[in-house]
Amino acid sequence: MARTKAAAPSTSSEKARSPSPDPADRPLGPLAVTVPASEREEVKVNNANMTELKNACDDAVKRFLSRPELFKQIYLHTDVRLALGWLSVFVAAGTAFYGYKVDFEKSKPVVTIGLIVYILLTITSTLYAYFIEGDTIFVGKRKTFSKRVSFTVELERITLSSSTIPVSKSSSSPSYSVALHYVRSTNGGKTLLGRGRTKGAAPYTKFFDDKGVMHQEAFEKWVGGLVETSMDGKAA
Amino acid sequence: MLIEEVRAFQRLGLRHVLLQVLSFASVISSGLMIWKGLAIITSCESPIVVVLSGSMEPAFHRGDLLFLTQDSSEQYKTGDIAVYKIPGVDIPIVHRVLETHDVPPTIDIRRYTRSMTQPEPSANVDSSEQYSQLLLTKGDNNSVDDIVIYRGLEWLERKHIVGKVRGSLPYVGYVTIAMHSLPKQLSSARERAFGKSKSPRSPTTRTHRDGGS
Repeated sequence: MARTKAAAPSTSSEKARSPSPDPADRPLGPLAVTVPASEREEVKVNNANMTELKNACDDAVKRFLSRPELFKQIYLHTDVRLALGWLSVFVAAGTAFYGYKVDFEKSKPVVTIGLIVYILLTITSTLYAYFIEGDTIFVGKRKTFSKRVSFTVELERITLSSSTIPVSKSSSSPSYSVALHYVRSTNGGKTLLGRGRTKGAAPYTKFFDDKGVMHQEAFEKWVGGLVETSMDGKAA
Repeated sequence: MLIEEVRAFQRLGLRHVLLQVLSFASVISSGLMIWKGLAIITSCESPIVVVLSGSMEPAFHRGDLLFLTQDSSEQYKTGDIAVYKIPGVDIPIVHRVLETHDVPPTIDIRRYTRSMTQPEPSANVDSSEQYSQLLLTKGDNNSVDDIVIYRGLEWLERKHIVGKVRGSLPYVGYVTIAMHSLPKQLSSARERAFGKSKSPRSPTTRTHRDGGS
């Protein structure tokens, strides 16, 4: 059956190893879910600011993929950053308050400890964001009832990371580059059903007009296409 | 405007709001920690001070930033520039040390000071090897020494010294002066606008007196 051959596709080969599986076989892809135009809010950014462009695209991806029938965002990275950050704020506030209340000479040991704790927390937070979180902008999962085998639950997990490719010899405008990693499994994550790694890049000019207004449908179509390619198991 | 904020809050979710507030709070807390870190490293309560008056010209002018360190075992010498605080006065004063007297630990230093402060219990049990010091200071630009500023003290003791000046940066201190004088300027402008009667002691004489010119 075509389905079994597609069960473990290569993650990096250029050509598709198997004929594309029946779209009805896999869970709903993002392109199948439409958003009524009235629900959209206009996104307008400063066209010349690469950070704003990237953030607008990242936010659009998060909004797009967290829609009710699609993935549920896992906030692990955000929560770790929040926890470490707020802890360091409280340590700083406590240390400063203690130093204010108590005489300087007597307060020195406690203030020194507070300082060291603050520095350690800040270093941990920075290292976490740099090494573990990296470029990741979205991590989501979804549980669906399997269409193939009744009464089993399929678990999907998708991780998206993005970066900006600056202006270079080959392109005249900066590009938004997205890398996806998609895993589909069942049986509590023990049986692998499908895996896909996709990369895509498109210049920002494709999604933003000269006033800085974002063309959300075009962006979502592009991202949705990449996600569905990943879900189908084809390497793009 | 508040309604928009509340709506944005509902739409964006708690995490987003927490992240925004966190980035603001972490800026403030990192500033605080840098200040405290500097205070610990220099072992000085207030490692950076601003010169308010012209009593140390031509060495320091009003608006200069001064960097201080403090070492409790250090012996001050004539010619050092020290920042000290008289108990009961908010503003520290920066002047040059004119005289130093080393008092051996066997003698109770309070015999030589008309100190108003309560005797410290450790004063007699002071088993440190070092001598305690009595200091007299004077501003370079002043014609008399600082006895008047001491408010009854005959000598300065080490405990009154905030730190010794190690370095300075010109003009940078005007930022702090502006920040402190802006509220005063605003209130005096308001007084003039609404015709309130001027208080007998205007702000300018107060700073001069405390600055020790």
